[in-house]
Amino acid sequence: MGKLLEHHSKRIIKQHNVPVPLNWVASTGQEAAEITKQFGKRVVLKALVPVGKRGKHGAIQFASTAEEAEALTNQLLGMTVRYFPVDQVLVEECLDIAEEWYVSITLDRNKQLPVIIAATEGGVEVEELVKRQPDRIRMVHVDPFTGLQPYQAKEIWSDLGLTGKALVQASDILFKLYDVCVNYDCDILEINPLVLTRTGEVVAAASVMGVDDAAASRHPELKGMVEVGGERSWRPLTELEKQMVAVNDADYRGTARYTEMDGGDIGFMCGGGGGSLLCFDALLKHGGSPANYTETGGNPPEEKVYGLTKGILSKPGVKGLFVAHNITNNTQIDVMARGIVKAIQEIGIDPQKFPVVVREAGVNDEEGKRIFEAANITYFGDDVTIETAARLMVERMKEVYACQS
Amino acid sequence: MSILVGPDTRIVVQGITGREAQMVVKHSLDYGTSLSAGVTPGKKGQSVHGIPVYDTVKEAVLQHGVNTSLVVVPPLFVLDAVLEAIAHGIRLIVVTSENIPQMDTVKMLAAARQAGVRIIGPNTVGLISPKHRIKLGSIGGDNPERCFVPGSIGVISRSGGMTAETSWMIKRAGFGVSTSIGIGGDALIGSNIAQLLELFESDPETSAVVTFSEPGTAFEEGAAEFVKQGKFTKPLISYIAGRFTEQMPEGTVFGHAGAMISGEFGRPSVKMRKLREAGAHVIDHYDDMIDVLQRTLRLN
Repeated sequence: MGKLLEHHSKRIIKQHNVPVPLNWVASTGQEAAEITKQFGKRVVLKALVPVGKRGKHGAIQFASTAEEAEALTNQLLGMTVRYFPVDQVLVEECLDIAEEWYVSITLDRNKQLPVIIAATEGGVEVEELVKRQPDRIRMVHVDPFTGLQPYQAKEIWSDLGLTGKALVQASDILFKLYDVCVNYDCDILEINPLVLTRTGEVVAAASVMGVDDAAASRHPELKGMVEVGGERSWRPLTELEKQMVAVNDADYRGTARYTEMDGGDIGFMCGGGGGSLLCFDALLKHGGSPANYTETGGNPPEEKVYGLTKGILSKPGVKGLFVAHNITNNTQIDVMARGIVKAIQEIGIDPQKFPVVVREAGVNDEEGKRIFEAANITYFGDDVTIETAARLMVERMKEVYACQS
Repeated sequence: MSILVGPDTRIVVQGITGREAQMVVKHSLDYGTSLSAGVTPGKKGQSVHGIPVYDTVKEAVLQHGVNTSLVVVPPLFVLDAVLEAIAHGIRLIVVTSENIPQMDTVKMLAAARQAGVRIIGPNTVGLISPKHRIKLGSIGGDNPERCFVPGSIGVISRSGGMTAETSWMIKRAGFGVSTSIGIGGDALIGSNIAQLLELFESDPETSAVVTFSEPGTAFEEGAAEFVKQGKFTKPLISYIAGRFTEQMPEGTVFGHAGAMISGEFGRPSVKMRKLREAGAHVIDHYDDMIDVLQRTLRLN
């Protein structure tokens, strides 16, 4: 899931007639001051980062004057919120709040259905509210084929005690939000808080919208608003990670996901999914320290394997390469071998001084073995287990670097 | 017997003319699996490795009485393909495609539940029963015998590749498999571990089950509860990969899309504890599987 920045999600829900506060984006303190001056009323300043809990991290501030807005914006622009540097600040109309509510639409993975969570207490973490005041919260599952019916939206808020104009407005907003959620393949659409103002209007004061990466091709209009691949990371992608996304995207065949570790000295290319987890555990168990984590699978072409190998080895501090897959069902080992060997030879690595250990068994592995061994690479097939191969990799590192030091 | 497939299985391949599907068909036929028909809209009259192609599942059912479907279509077409199979009385659907939009998956699983149809996957390598030489999906590739030999152990794996590796470990230990199933790496799948344990429990030719798991989801927690309630009584040997992920910041995803840890939920250590408490043989190191299998099965 890629999260949209708040101004993007607000624009989308506003297009669907959900009321949102007036808002502008500022990239400098001066811009924020100018906006505040022109608006002429108190504003909220929010760090534009794709993560929640901004209030807790001091990334939401209030300003009454242009000078205040400038100073606070400059302060926000110097921050990093949960690994995300703040490049822009959302300047928003400050609402006159009477009540704060909560509403979200997401998928209940256990029940395998869309679920609406609504509460007449907002601005808080919903996980906490569930524990503390379960009577002030409603969780309603929706039939994915028939969708949310207007009466269901109404019942949710009525059960929570709303009535009159507020009930009608909140129900209408929820109905529209569900529509947005389905139409844009949202993984989550959360409004926290949904605000009742002192003048009796219901307004979406803060929004979080995450879009399912797998559905990206259905929503060309969201291009540029969602960072694909960002859903797999707790921090912004590093430069090398972005390069590897490009290597992967250059050809649709085979999959590769690259994640950089802090430190480590073993470049690591491993089987997609489960096999990679097992390999990583096994390296750690034997005292190894992976520098990165590259899951590859399917049938990547030689060019992709070559590009990935070069990327893996280009991370500073990498002093060895471990390539290990589980016995594959369909990946061609000879193609993998050609890509890896080409990269190693081009960089000028001598496997005598820079350990390269491979454990690959599967389609065309006889030919793969020949290619690896011709390049002096330590090769194992289905004669050893993954754990044994990991142990031998770590031993090889110790051997080579003990000799050299 | 084996679970899910057997002598009565009559298979249709939806999306049979695709590149991936053609390879799977070739490997399956080479292995000895009988395939009845294929479906690709607009390609009626063609054939793939001798298997006749139809435009609709309806025709394949009328002509060949197919009851099982292997779905190998691009992600955005999966929902419709599955709804079509359900509408025409297919009872078992194996969905290999990955990267299906979640909202589509939710719809397809809801439709299957309502119709009482069993789905394996999506994002699965498929399943194999060596005794009947039936394989559905890319499982085993061009050389299923390397890993999958007939025997009495059931395999349930969240990872496709590890379905093969785990079955190979079983072969190394001197045993074979009754049915090996990759359940799929996504958080949203049709058949979870507990549901398949239920089938293995009533299969007289399965004497034990080995599971391979990953972080994320509540499948192992659900399986532990199932065993605890006495609904699965055969030896259960479990390995859970990815313990290192517990040291990483929350929200990181390694392995499959389903492998996300959030709070206490989905942690390998919690899964291991719950399975152990339920009486499963939870192994700490993958290589221990061979010893544990030999000890456990000799005792029985």
